[in-house]
Amino acid sequence: MSRTERKLQQETPNPLERAVANTMHEFGGAWIFFNRVMRTFKRTKGHKSAIIQQVADVSTRTIGTVIFAGVFVGAILVLQFDVMLRRFDAQALLGGLNTSATIREVGPLIISFLLAGKVGAYTTAELANMRVTEQIDAIECLGTNPIQYLIIPRFFAIILSSVVLLAIGLSVSVIGAILVAQTFSDINLYQYISSIPRFAGAWTLFEGLFRSVLFSTIVATISTFKGYTATGGARGVGRAVTESAIYINVYIVIVNFISSSILEWVHDFIFWIGALLERITL
Amino acid sequence: MIRFEHVSKAFGGKVVLNDVSFEVPKGDVLFILGKSGMGKSVALKHIIGVLAPDSGKIFVDDIEVSALHSPDRKDELVQVRQRCGMVFQHPALLDSLNIFDNIAFGLRTPQYQAKMRRKLTEEEIGVIVEQKVDLVDLKIDILSMFPHEVSFGVQKRVSMARTLAPSPDYLLFDEPTTSLDPLTTSEINQLIDDLSRKLKVTSIIVSHDMACALAIADNILFLDQGKILLQAKPKEVVASQIPLVKDFFSETKELLPPDWNLKA
Repeated sequence: MSRTERKLQQETPNPLERAVANTMHEFGGAWIFFNRVMRTFKRTKGHKSAIIQQVADVSTRTIGTVIFAGVFVGAILVLQFDVMLRRFDAQALLGGLNTSATIREVGPLIISFLLAGKVGAYTTAELANMRVTEQIDAIECLGTNPIQYLIIPRFFAIILSSVVLLAIGLSVSVIGAILVAQTFSDINLYQYISSIPRFAGAWTLFEGLFRSVLFSTIVATISTFKGYTATGGARGVGRAVTESAIYINVYIVIVNFISSSILEWVHDFIFWIGALLERITL
Repeated sequence: MIRFEHVSKAFGGKVVLNDVSFEVPKGDVLFILGKSGMGKSVALKHIIGVLAPDSGKIFVDDIEVSALHSPDRKDELVQVRQRCGMVFQHPALLDSLNIFDNIAFGLRTPQYQAKMRRKLTEEEIGVIVEQKVDLVDLKIDILSMFPHEVSFGVQKRVSMARTLAPSPDYLLFDEPTTSLDPLTTSEINQLIDDLSRKLKVTSIIVSHDMACALAIADNILFLDQGKILLQAKPKEVVASQIPLVKDFFSETKELLPPDWNLKA
């Protein structure tokens, strides 16, 4: 139990109140940490090579899992859509619906969960271990800013890698979906691909990319924050990794709901502006 | 000179330092002794500004370290840290770097380069690293190895070499012999003594090792319950009638070698 949790337990005996207070405390801490990282990034230079090295490290560590999961995500979605579309004799829409759902929603979500599991947990454990064995204090004492030296490369590598992994994951998932569609749904390659532009356009790609960056920012912030602020020896490292995994998944689900609503609203607004401009010019 | 003026620090409800004041003159070796959890390491971390006091002031020469915690004075704090080399309880070596790069870490920072008014070449860094490795009685063939490939005792020595590399004015040791076998403990203690004398730097050593303190220290400071119980020369410590100090000394007496000489 951390010092803050102990304090909260003393001050708020009600478990529900305590849970809310603890969550708010964690969220506030993560937000302050995020701002600190951004400020340090703006103020300092020379991160490029360290970030590139970390991107390569993160991508190679995750790519196998992303490819494996991507194939199955595409395949599962095709099977589910096929069952529903078959009822309405609308299987021609299978390619479009499946691709749109994968790019907009499932792809970014699955890749973020994979990033959280593989890279997020690794980053938290690595930083937490450095914290409890005083490596971070030593870096500070030798005149180097640990945020600049340790956090910024890992933080931006997670975000940039998520974009690379999203592109790979989506491509693989589309391939998996086509293979399953051809095998189980009596849809040929041409039918599958020709329906894609009807459902998935530039906006869909933007949505997928936006969500992916948003979710990976959560993974990057929470995993580095929990690792950087870990206390209490080996138990502290274990606690930091567990809490990091829990908070990342909870925040991603909440932010996914909020971002979906906002993106829907923005999409409608842009569509409305477009229609208005069209009416004016006519 | 390092000076504490009425420094207090509490974590949660627990008071760790309570109105602590002391001074370490230039070139002196001060041992801070006391039971575990009595604020010894906390005091040390205040000097390099890793922790900020709740009240009171800490000076390194004429610079008030406790006033350097605001974001706009971070650069000044970094400069103070450059002057204070700290050896931690853990060796705290970076796992991802080999031993050479660990020792060279402080020499490659922009702050050190600013202090030197130029960027050191890799050859110059190599020469300094080899000098420091020699100073802590290690062989240069370990330089290409990684921390996990060498023993804990060697890691401690590497940690000392890394601290010495930027030539600090002050050396701070946080329980340098924790988790070491008696033989390595005695070697490390000897090394600390040699370094303090050879380099003529002001040193503060946080320890439980009374025997080592009596042999090396110019002054010994006992901390108990966050307060200074005694600050005295080794001879006065041996003669002290304070129960905790007596207990510490009686535990040590049997461990002292027959030819043991009390530092004057």
